[in-house]
Amino acid sequence: MTELNLKKEENIQQSLLSKFKTLEGKITVKRARRLFAEVDFSNFRDVFHYAVKDLNFNVMCMITGLDEGENFSFIYHLANFDGVILDVKTSVPKSNPVIKTIMEYFPGAVLYERELTDMFGVKVEGLPEGNRYPLPDGWPEGQYPLRKDWNKEMLNQKEEK
Amino acid sequence: MAIVKIPIGPQHPALKEPESFLISLDGERIQEVGMRLGYNHRGIEKAAEGRTYIQNIYLLERVCGICSHSHSTAFIQAVEEVAGIELSRRAKYIRTIMGELERIHSHLLWLGVAGHEVGFDTLLMYSWRDREIVMDLLAMISGNRVNYGMNTFGGVRRDIDKQKQQDILTAVDALEERTKYYAKVATEEITLIKRLSGVGYISKEDVYRLGTVGPTGRASGMPRDTRKDDPYAAYDEVDFNVITDNHCDVYGRTLVRVGELMETYKIIRQLIKNMPDGEIAVKFPRRVPAGEATSRYEAPRGEDVHYVKGNGTDKPERVKLRAPTLANLQSVSKMLEDNNLADVPITIAAIDPCFSCTDRMIRIVDNSKGSANTTDWETLRKKGIEWYRNEKGIDFTDLNKKYANIRKVD
Amino acid sequence: MGIASALFNIIVFPGFLFLGVMGLILEYLDRILYARFQNRQGPPFYQPLADFIKLTAKEEIIPEEADRRVFKFMPIIALTAATTAFFYIPMWGTSALFSFTGDVIVVLYLLTIPTVSFFLGGWSSTSMYASIGAVRTLTQLFSYEVLLFLGILSPMLLADTWSLSESTIYYQHHPVMMLLNIAAFAISMIALLGKLEKVPFDIAEAETEIVGGSFTEYTGRLLALFRMAIDVEMVVGASLIAAVFLPFGLMLNPVVAFILYLIKVCIIVFLLSLFRTLFARLRIDQMVSVCWKYFAPLALAQILFVMIVKGVFL
Repeated sequence: MTELNLKKEENIQQSLLSKFKTLEGKITVKRARRLFAEVDFSNFRDVFHYAVKDLNFNVMCMITGLDEGENFSFIYHLANFDGVILDVKTSVPKSNPVIKTIMEYFPGAVLYERELTDMFGVKVEGLPEGNRYPLPDGWPEGQYPLRKDWNKEMLNQKEEK
Repeated sequence: MAIVKIPIGPQHPALKEPESFLISLDGERIQEVGMRLGYNHRGIEKAAEGRTYIQNIYLLERVCGICSHSHSTAFIQAVEEVAGIELSRRAKYIRTIMGELERIHSHLLWLGVAGHEVGFDTLLMYSWRDREIVMDLLAMISGNRVNYGMNTFGGVRRDIDKQKQQDILTAVDALEERTKYYAKVATEEITLIKRLSGVGYISKEDVYRLGTVGPTGRASGMPRDTRKDDPYAAYDEVDFNVITDNHCDVYGRTLVRVGELMETYKIIRQLIKNMPDGEIAVKFPRRVPAGEATSRYEAPRGEDVHYVKGNGTDKPERVKLRAPTLANLQSVSKMLEDNNLADVPITIAAIDPCFSCTDRMIRIVDNSKGSANTTDWETLRKKGIEWYRNEKGIDFTDLNKKYANIRKVD
Repeated sequence: MGIASALFNIIVFPGFLFLGVMGLILEYLDRILYARFQNRQGPPFYQPLADFIKLTAKEEIIPEEADRRVFKFMPIIALTAATTAFFYIPMWGTSALFSFTGDVIVVLYLLTIPTVSFFLGGWSSTSMYASIGAVRTLTQLFSYEVLLFLGILSPMLLADTWSLSESTIYYQHHPVMMLLNIAAFAISMIALLGKLEKVPFDIAEAETEIVGGSFTEYTGRLLALFRMAIDVEMVVGASLIAAVFLPFGLMLNPVVAFILYLIKVCIIVFLLSLFRTLFARLRIDQMVSVCWKYFAPLALAQILFVMIVKGVFL
């Protein structure tokens, strides 16, 4: 399957590269219908805007949060109607985990962003008031289950105090 | 009557899984919908990080009781992509057949639930009776009615031999006939149409904007089907249509699902006709190299997305998954706007939210002998029938005859 | 009439005991037919009785917010009113236990009381589901009650009487005249479905929407009484329709007439179960509009027809 022509994917790669020179070498075509781009946080907003508005990546599949030691990384899985997925990855330092919401592009992203808030302790600017997701209301503060240094014993310790 | 707030959930007869909808009502009209999710959060993503890949297959199969094959396939596809393993064609075919059989049972289940939500229990009883045909088929192939455990890295665990292929074809014929009947019911029964059409309307624009997936999106004219757009397994080798509809309401969703059932029968026939020979599984390394992959799978309810990151050990670094219900729930509050209270259950049900089923295989421990032996489904069923006949004087013979008549076996 | 015989009439026959047994039998019949239509096994014959006994043994829970007196009193009112109505309906003879000119109005009035008590019971329990169910009960009442009155009115007009017993006597002598009332018969059946809150008119207790409607907060003996009241209402409703629309064979030997009466009631229950199987639950607005747009004009046309026939040919 990988031997098939990847023209569609390479076109997308080319248009991203011609628009953003800094992305040189950071966009890879992994296989048919899979593109991967690693973007600096300062640049992320522009690339995202371009991908959504000009390259017609109209579907946001999900946002994956990653704990990579020093940094938190976020992968925005974007898809278009040709079945191509563009994974846009960006990172912020753990010391100051603040990102901006993408709700103006995808109103449905609210749940994924709330999930980042709950599971990683990332602050997402611009999220509307509302119920938390997915952890229960009585969940102790400062406990972020998907951080690598978290384990369930920490929850018990907290409760004992 | 002043504006009242009425809670639908977390526990409510209309919901099969805990979710909470707080609905403000002016008389019977819905003013506002509040949603609180997460009651069913089981920490599977975290749990997956602490388990080996093999354990994770079975863990992720239990994300959902109905689309269990979907989740395990989506996960395994991602891992196989990371490891760079190419499957045999036969394994792909078997996976696809399982996926399509699962779609049949899920859609028939939905039809019944939809009937129940609008107070049409007859439809529930009929469609669930017919669903037994495909459930038995799944049990015959995999040994289980749900959570089949068919998938393994590099292929599948059980083969579908000639005899089973023949059984599948017979069952599919019977199911097709029944589905035609349901299509007729859905399009001709007045009260059903009255309850379904115009309910839970969501426009094409909103569907695109909110990222709705699966039959819910397709019923609003969005021709998006992962099987077609991003073919996986054997879908690039079969010919089928993506069913869409322009009703944009629950009626449209019903038509799409019934239409999809017909396409599914077509797919299964093609798959069985062209089933290639070969190994059902290839060897798979215990350690998966570092790397990441995103995989998509068109589950009965919509698109499953899995992301897997490996770090060179036998445990994944990160597993992230998104079930279709999450994507669709966000459109529910839109659909509920300005509807009647009576339409809440069917509107929520129309996106087909997932809920868990239980396995039906049990282990019976014989205390006198102290040995454990496993009883299969057929023996259990016989035992149940015997028990009812002898102890309760209830005879199922008549019903069984009718049932056998439908499935065209003795 | 002596006190002893009056007590016998009230408690044993055709009072509470007979009606209770009859109600349970009809409930069983309804359930087993419904199950068989749906390709299910259905309950054993003693299931309704077992349910009743089980419920009476259960704890009674009354919500703190509820008006205790109204809450406890309503099931009894519902049962009593439905039972009382039964005394005026001729079953296996041309005359009922009691009869007087205008008793048909009393029967219809007494049959309305259970519905009103469902409303009051639900409303007084203050639960949100029950309140919505209660309001729906009333809304429903306005759509089917008029239909039932209009439906029963037509054969009465034809017989030129306001007494159920007299009307049966009239149709004994002119059985063919009954054929003129077929539309009224259909309309009364539909209204009865609404009165008994059965699919497609079970809007007031739609379990997937408002859990149990008016009865959400009811438990134990009170719920058992309410359910018994609905069963008795089914007997009375079916008997009323049998007496008004199927008054055949009443002059025969009492035993034969009694068996005939049972058969008639069974036929009516069979029809009710059939409708229940065939349709989905309507929405409250749909029910109101269907009843007023289609059935009410039909009922009026029937009455007009009867009056013309009466004026021109009789």
